[in-house]
Amino acid sequence: MHSVADKKNLISIAPVGTSQIVRDLAIVAAAFLLLSLFIPLHWLTDFAIFCILVLSFDLLYGYMGHLSFGHMLYYGVGAYAASLSLLHLAPNPFLAIGVGIVSGFAVSALVGLVVVQVEGAAFALVNLAINQIGFWLAFAGLQEYTHGEDGLPSSVEALGFLDFYNLPVALGFVLICLVLVFCLLRILTTSPYGVIIEAIKENEDRVKFLGYNTYAYKWLTFVIASTLAAFAGTLYALVKGFVAPTDLSPLENTRIIFSVLIGGAGNLYGAVVGAVTFEMLSNYLATTISRWEMVLGAMLLVLVFWFRQGITGYSYNLFLKMRHRRRVGG
Amino acid sequence: MLEVNNIDVSYGHAKVLHGVSVSLQKGEMVFVVGRNGAGKTTLLKSIAGFLHPSQGSINLENRSLLGLRPDQVARQGLRFVAQDKKVFGNLTVRDNMELAAHASGEKLDQAVELLLSLYPRFEKFMDKKAGGLSGGQREILLIGRALVGEPGVLLVDEPTEGLAAIVIDDIFRILSGMKEKISTIIVEQNLSVVGRLADRIYIMKEGKIEKEITDPAHIQDAAQLECYL
Repeated sequence: MHSVADKKNLISIAPVGTSQIVRDLAIVAAAFLLLSLFIPLHWLTDFAIFCILVLSFDLLYGYMGHLSFGHMLYYGVGAYAASLSLLHLAPNPFLAIGVGIVSGFAVSALVGLVVVQVEGAAFALVNLAINQIGFWLAFAGLQEYTHGEDGLPSSVEALGFLDFYNLPVALGFVLICLVLVFCLLRILTTSPYGVIIEAIKENEDRVKFLGYNTYAYKWLTFVIASTLAAFAGTLYALVKGFVAPTDLSPLENTRIIFSVLIGGAGNLYGAVVGAVTFEMLSNYLATTISRWEMVLGAMLLVLVFWFRQGITGYSYNLFLKMRHRRRVGG
Repeated sequence: MLEVNNIDVSYGHAKVLHGVSVSLQKGEMVFVVGRNGAGKTTLLKSIAGFLHPSQGSINLENRSLLGLRPDQVARQGLRFVAQDKKVFGNLTVRDNMELAAHASGEKLDQAVELLLSLYPRFEKFMDKKAGGLSGGQREILLIGRALVGEPGVLLVDEPTEGLAAIVIDDIFRILSGMKEKISTIIVEQNLSVVGRLADRIYIMKEGKIEKEITDPAHIQDAAQLECYL
């Protein structure tokens, strides 16, 4: 009888085409450079950081189908850990990034052991509860370290040309991080691991039939997504030089969820398009409409009822229909 | 090879299987026949690790499967093809095979080759989403996926249910090809298929094994089997 090896690598990476990675890299970089012609650089830096956060959430929700209302916790953990590193260890940006990532990994690895045991609404709500605990710790419980409501200021030293107080340099660094995260997620989602988590989204029991320990895959995906969120948080702390409890407020999760829905879940370009669209809308609407959140709410209703695949999914379907019509017509 | 001894299985307080015992020898094709609600699917799910017997034993090549999770049972070389013909509809046919190949440590090319040997017409569907396949094609894909990595035992639940006659012929041809190569337990209501393929038949009624039929003449007589349905 054929016996399948009990211990297998959780991630086996299929060689994704170099041309695809180069194409992704070029598209994302070109899009941001184009946006820099119209949008202030400090906004664009925020947009790029937010894109990393939304991409990380898309892995968890869009690809694996696990909606979390607690993703901001890891963003906050990364931001606070990076700030504390800058304050108490050294004002070195790379050390701060390392500390932020390791902290995000450690917290999510522990929390993940518990939360991936539940599904659906329970998964969303357990994450929300843990996010709320994190928010309270930053706000009051660990006030001695976080400075509570006052927030935690920090400063970062310039390393050669890398000076976070120089806006174009900061934007360039964040953009490099964004394309690296994008490419990492492209490699992961096109590998057998990516196929497995998409299959878990569709029917977890059937994945078990095939011999996969789905718990391990769900935990791993949760940890990767959360660690990337922590990475986004470290960049935020470096660029802003300040972090406050509101940065990990559970309410902030709606921004990420909105963005993924606007762009199209389970699509890396969708995450970037959604994040940029959401940020542009919220930044511009806020300056023109006093109750701009109502417009976003109305948009969400439209998306849920008519455009469930988001901007990218709808555009792609439209493209397919037009191509089909042209072929039939021709 | 596979020994199920005296298992009791319950859904909550409702006992569904009462002291059921079945066995499967190497290379055998055993059918389980019975009316709806007789406990056939429950029996397969119990063997596959989705339900846990409160009593009895299940051994595969003298190793106990009791208490193992479905993925652990699958890694012991036992595969389950469920009744509902649910493939991963949002994934392509190729991705569906890749899942099976990766789980078994096989190469994707080999898995695809195996599927095409079962049903050459999959060639043109390979990069299409599996959700667009017909019921029969889905069943063939599920069987093909389960066969990747040469499992020791295959459990198949109602493979021809709800399928057109022409597709049933395809399924029959595939099951015939598996005979003597893979040890298989099949739950099936189509007595023509049962009569032509079975080495042995278990008749189930009200959660118990009512009868075991081993006589080839009796097995091939669909009219006599009819009375058990």
